[in-house]
Amino acid sequence: MSQPKLNRRDFLKVAAVGAAVVAGAQAIRRAEASTPAPSGGRQWAMVIDQALCNGCGYCILACRAHNDISPELTWNPVLEAGQVGGKEVYLPRPCMQCSHAPCVDVCPVKASEYRPDGIVMMDYDRCIGCRYCEVACPYGARAFNWKGFDGPNPAVPEWGQPEVERRPRGVVEKCAFCYQRIDRGLSLGLTPGVDPDATPACVVVCPVNARFFGDLNDPNSIVSRLLAARPSFTLRADLGTGPRVYYLPATEGNA
Amino acid sequence: MKPKLKFSPWLFWLIGLSLVIALGVGAGVIVFWKGLSVTNLSDLVPWGLWITIDLSSIAVSAGAFSLCAAVYLLGLKRYQPVARTATFIGLIGYTMALLTLLLDIGRPDRFWHAVVYWNKHSLLWEVTMCVTLYLTVLLLESLPIFARFDWLKRRWPKLAERMSHVHHYAPYLAVVGLGLSMLHQSSLGAVYGVLKARPFWYRPDVSVLFIISAVAGGMSLTVFFSMLSARLTRRANVDDSLLERVSFFIGWTLVLYLYFRFWDALSMTYTYQPGRTEGLQLLTQGPLSFNFWVGEMFLGIVIPMVLLLYRPTRTSSLWRMVALLLVVGGVVAYRWDTNLSGLMIVLSYLPGEPIVAYTHYFPSLIEILSGAGVVAYGLLAFSLGVRYLKVVDHEAAEVSVEGEHLAEAAAASIT
Repeated sequence: MSQPKLNRRDFLKVAAVGAAVVAGAQAIRRAEASTPAPSGGRQWAMVIDQALCNGCGYCILACRAHNDISPELTWNPVLEAGQVGGKEVYLPRPCMQCSHAPCVDVCPVKASEYRPDGIVMMDYDRCIGCRYCEVACPYGARAFNWKGFDGPNPAVPEWGQPEVERRPRGVVEKCAFCYQRIDRGLSLGLTPGVDPDATPACVVVCPVNARFFGDLNDPNSIVSRLLAARPSFTLRADLGTGPRVYYLPATEGNA
Repeated sequence: MKPKLKFSPWLFWLIGLSLVIALGVGAGVIVFWKGLSVTNLSDLVPWGLWITIDLSSIAVSAGAFSLCAAVYLLGLKRYQPVARTATFIGLIGYTMALLTLLLDIGRPDRFWHAVVYWNKHSLLWEVTMCVTLYLTVLLLESLPIFARFDWLKRRWPKLAERMSHVHHYAPYLAVVGLGLSMLHQSSLGAVYGVLKARPFWYRPDVSVLFIISAVAGGMSLTVFFSMLSARLTRRANVDDSLLERVSFFIGWTLVLYLYFRFWDALSMTYTYQPGRTEGLQLLTQGPLSFNFWVGEMFLGIVIPMVLLLYRPTRTSSLWRMVALLLVVGGVVAYRWDTNLSGLMIVLSYLPGEPIVAYTHYFPSLIEILSGAGVVAYGLLAFSLGVRYLKVVDHEAAEVSVEGEHLAEAAAASIT
């Protein structure tokens, strides 16, 4: 009657193998964990003046060129937002780079992560294309790459040169405040929001200067000064997502 | 001399299923080749028919954990043969879910990422891990079933004996299975329930509704297929008193489910939160109202509840089978409606304008064909199981356990 004892031992063996598999998976995960980008305590934010935006859509095209986006996708659309004082009002909508981003919480593989400077980054090599983040985002800021994109980008070279790798078919894409321009600019000693080469492409291209970019932790940055001087709002503030894109509303007076 | 091949109904059934599977495989190849642009999914409705098949096949696999828990943890030993059928159905159901998931994700080559790159905050991660682990449990639980394959017994008798030996771990496996199933069956509801961006989903009780409906649907499918097999082939035989008792329990599960559905709907009625009221209207008056009232409520809960609790209809095998099939249909309808009702409402984020817009979705032919292929695979696997593994066998199960003991005793006496 030594049968049951042997069974238990076998069971423990199976459990040990299971634990080893889990530990192995953890080890791979740690080994491949990306190192956080240096930030120096900066918190990037964008301010968009609705009184100035005329809905030209140049930002959409510059965004497509610099981030090499398929012409069928838009990371950064410009929406019609009604009228104020008889004038059309527009609402450009980049990714809000939320401080409590639903997309980061729901991603099953940690393909969406916060950078220390607040940018919500996508790891396109890790995304499995489940689209849960798309369902979870209150701002519709995520675009799934349904078809893939081969051949020349029609927005290039007129609207800029690609600065990041083109995403493969089957992943979810999003705006990341042109992190590549910020990082490269900082390494050259430039100031994002001041020097065009260190500033998101949509801010640089805007012909009416309706977009502003800068560090919220720097009281002298253009975004800090604008937010201190003028009333502003964020989208769906009731959700508690903490967007880092602020809007200066169009009013009867300034429209 | 004519060849022995006879065009029996069995052969027609196999040919029919194989055709559907072949079409499904063709459609699946197109999906992998062309990408998800061949579907009618969009950025507004990123989840559709496939996710419904996914959720439904996991839901109707819930008979496995509930019946195994009843047999090995509550000590209701006489239901062991029913639990055996449920375990086999569970194994099929979870592989169906995995197949559908492979279709649904944009990068099927990266399906393993969730196991390696953990995001402990994500319910979808939790679901993936639980499903993977539970599939392992189901495989182990099914080993004694596969050990009954005659060919295997003849070819590798020692292996078959070892496989049937796993039966001794059944109580341990039942504990692990219960834990994993309770986690992910509820979390599948919570996948929707935690999304604040979708007011119609954002509520705590979706997880409760998902697991209760899964238990009802899972047991129903097990009993239904057991009865159907016993009617169609002599290779299946059932102890009707067992199935009748399980059906009675399903009837009471439906009472509980209806009770929770009632308070769920009532609590949503008076919130007037933009998006939530519209979601409820979508179900009660809008494009999903037929599904909701007829599919989910009337045919899915009320009618089978009465049929299964009223003794004369429950003991009539025809009425009982009708009722069980209706329960399964109701669970599938609930999954479809839950997914679509939250996605079809597009809530504006423009300032001061909580405008609600509606979108719509109907699966493309490719989605339907590949989905049908997955379902046909499930039916084929179960049919083969009935025929060659005797998964619906309420008489021989006891004998086989006895026989195993005899064999062990014989082996012990030899050594």
